[in-house]
Amino acid sequence: MMRNLLIGILLVTIMLGYSAFAANSRVSLSIDDIHSPVFNVKEIRASLSGQQLSQLEFRVGEIAVQEKIWRNVKLSCTKFQLTDRLIGCSGGRIHLSNSAPLAVEFHLNLYENVLEIEIKPTANESWRFSLHWNENYWRNTLTIANGQAVHVVQWLPDMETMPVPGKGRVNGNVKISGNMDGIARVAAELLIDDLAFSDRNGLRAGENVNMTINWSAEHSSRNNQWQWQSEINWLAGEIFWQPLFFSDGGYSLNLTGVLSENNINLNNGKIVLHDIGELDFSGVLARPGNNLIDFNLHATSLELSTLFDQILRPFLRSTAFSEMNVIGRGSFAWRYHQGENKSFVLDLHDVSLADRRERFAFYRVNAHIPWQANSATIADISILSGQVLRVPLGAVRVPLEINQSELRIPQLVLPVLDGKLKLENFIASQQDKNWHWQFNGELLPVSMEKLTRALQIQQMHGTISGVIPKVSYVNSIVAVDGTLLFKIFDGMVTANNLKLIEPLGLVPHLAVDLAMKNLDLDLLTRTFSFGNIQGRIDMEMQNLELAGWQPVKFDAKLSSSAGSYPRRISQAAVQNISALGGASAVAAIQRSFLRFFEEFSYSEIGWQCFLRNNVCRMDGIEPASILVKFESKGYVIVKGGGIPAITVIGYNRNVGWQELINRLKRITQGNDPVIQ
Amino acid sequence: MNKLFSCLILLVILLSLPLATHARGANIEINTPAITKLKQSMQQRHGQLASHYASGAIGLTGDGLIAMRDANVLPLAQRQPVNALIAAENQDRNALYQEIASANNHPEWEKDIRATFSQRWISLAKSGWWYQAANGAWAKK
Repeated sequence: MMRNLLIGILLVTIMLGYSAFAANSRVSLSIDDIHSPVFNVKEIRASLSGQQLSQLEFRVGEIAVQEKIWRNVKLSCTKFQLTDRLIGCSGGRIHLSNSAPLAVEFHLNLYENVLEIEIKPTANESWRFSLHWNENYWRNTLTIANGQAVHVVQWLPDMETMPVPGKGRVNGNVKISGNMDGIARVAAELLIDDLAFSDRNGLRAGENVNMTINWSAEHSSRNNQWQWQSEINWLAGEIFWQPLFFSDGGYSLNLTGVLSENNINLNNGKIVLHDIGELDFSGVLARPGNNLIDFNLHATSLELSTLFDQILRPFLRSTAFSEMNVIGRGSFAWRYHQGENKSFVLDLHDVSLADRRERFAFYRVNAHIPWQANSATIADISILSGQVLRVPLGAVRVPLEINQSELRIPQLVLPVLDGKLKLENFIASQQDKNWHWQFNGELLPVSMEKLTRALQIQQMHGTISGVIPKVSYVNSIVAVDGTLLFKIFDGMVTANNLKLIEPLGLVPHLAVDLAMKNLDLDLLTRTFSFGNIQGRIDMEMQNLELAGWQPVKFDAKLSSSAGSYPRRISQAAVQNISALGGASAVAAIQRSFLRFFEEFSYSEIGWQCFLRNNVCRMDGIEPASILVKFESKGYVIVKGGGIPAITVIGYNRNVGWQELINRLKRITQGNDPVIQ
Repeated sequence: MNKLFSCLILLVILLSLPLATHARGANIEINTPAITKLKQSMQQRHGQLASHYASGAIGLTGDGLIAMRDANVLPLAQRQPVNALIAAENQDRNALYQEIASANNHPEWEKDIRATFSQRWISLAKSGWWYQAANGAWAKK
């Protein structure tokens, strides 16, 4: 339609030209409006003047194509040629809106049916358009030489998130050909150099980008389909596409496909990612909404370190995996059919995952993990070694049963240091997009010496073992339902109401009520280099709360266990208890005995600490006033009994938690005790 | 250097200010080892963030966090590292608000504590820094 209009206008011009042909004459043409479904043009003014009407002035008030509008478009030709077969313009200049004038030439040869237009914004830059046609066939070619990408900006929609080129050079051609029925073939071969682009906020931007684009499509009138193929190679440059950043080229996309009235078929798709590997894909989208119906994606032997660093980590910034290092190779295959996930298979080959903050690590993981939408499968996962919260784990093979969104491990024996953790009835499932899991089990004896060394805390002796009742994980909380039992220092420890909130979060919270019964003081004091105490104690630690593994609250009560057993305390232990209690003292009347005896008898030990707001409020067995006259403020920590007997009284009621820890450190590190 | 130092002082002042909250009786000055650790982490990171507040790359949001406001002022290669800084800072801030609420034995006060901190971050921001106004639009202080 546009072509017909153009020819019509030209014919009018030609006729006017013939009728008024004379030296220094002037011919003018005015058209107020031209309307079409594709464009609207207003205020067209054309005039020919000068010697043999060789100068053209052509002005358009407004051209609107879709939503794009240009105003005050001007074309002038200093050498305009008009014959019955030829219209030509040399030395022309075109003004588009307020932009700088561009050099332009055009020639329309009606004898050979050729139209050629060349725009040269600068001496080295050329946008050359040619149109050839006959009764059955037409062919357009746009040839670009050193075209500046910035010219494209005015054709792009004005959107905040639309990246627009700031600079860049385009070379190549775009060819469109067809017949009287319409377009039959489109092809583009473009080389883009030194491209810079950005959206308004700089969240989708590139610099120094070099790329090639080869794209072609052919129309089949037999079944009204377009068959197309494309090859895009990103050769060099940097691209930031929030949150991803690629600093080098080496990426490509190859794709063939078929566009029909109802579908878009993607065939033989291949994405090559530099230093990562290749992904192959195919799929079907339903028109007109372009909804994904089918999709197959698979990749073999991807380099996981670069895949994780470049593509996955930026999306995991706010999770526990943001500081994870990954090495090894992985393969996967995903099948999506008729709008649903049908299968996913993941294979890991010698993969190691390690958290930089040492919260977890798994080394030499080999796995085949298949998932099917409509049937149960069994995954085979083997791990050579690992650690969780610094506790080393040994080699393990995990028989994981997968049934849709539920995972099960009937039984698993996990080596932990020199012991074992037996897990039974492990079930994990996804509910409301969150993972829940639970298990029960048993901890078979683990050396306390090895465990404390691994945890980098005060070394202890003996073993730890126990029964693990139901443990569950819901809404980022690990909860133990029941009583956790384990043995330590020849006594029994029970843990109730245990909850671990966000165990891999920035500030994990632990809440538990602990009760320790019949601990052997001899083992305990030897472990902590506290001097020697023989006897047995019970310790209640209710409402214990740790934040970031540091205590913020507890109600601790230590007392001698019931029963008959030796009750002896060494001179060093007496001095250390005194030091721990701050301004405490051995009962004045007994102080002079200290230097004469290495060991004393006692009848009872008792100490309490209620931690709130970083302050430990201390108490003992009973007020000192009961035992000692005129002692109205103190409390008894060690109550004497037998010969030689000693009584230790504490005077400090409130001690800063950090100060108490510092005192303990001084004592257990073997420094000289401080007696105040 | 002086600029950095004054920014650090500003941050220290802010973190140690007793603040009033909508949750009557909340002690925002409360300290626990976890809160101390979070504050230290934020103070250490502030040295890296200060220049980005001043350049307008980063702005203070209305919910007590920070966000990339205009990445154009950053070289392309710096945009992802600054994203990582923002994510780490926001993790600390979220944890700080939650920890202060928990230390007050009222985890449900987190929203009020966040709102109070948000107002204070903005009121104590330096001239030229960007913040999100009540209507969500960016404004320059």
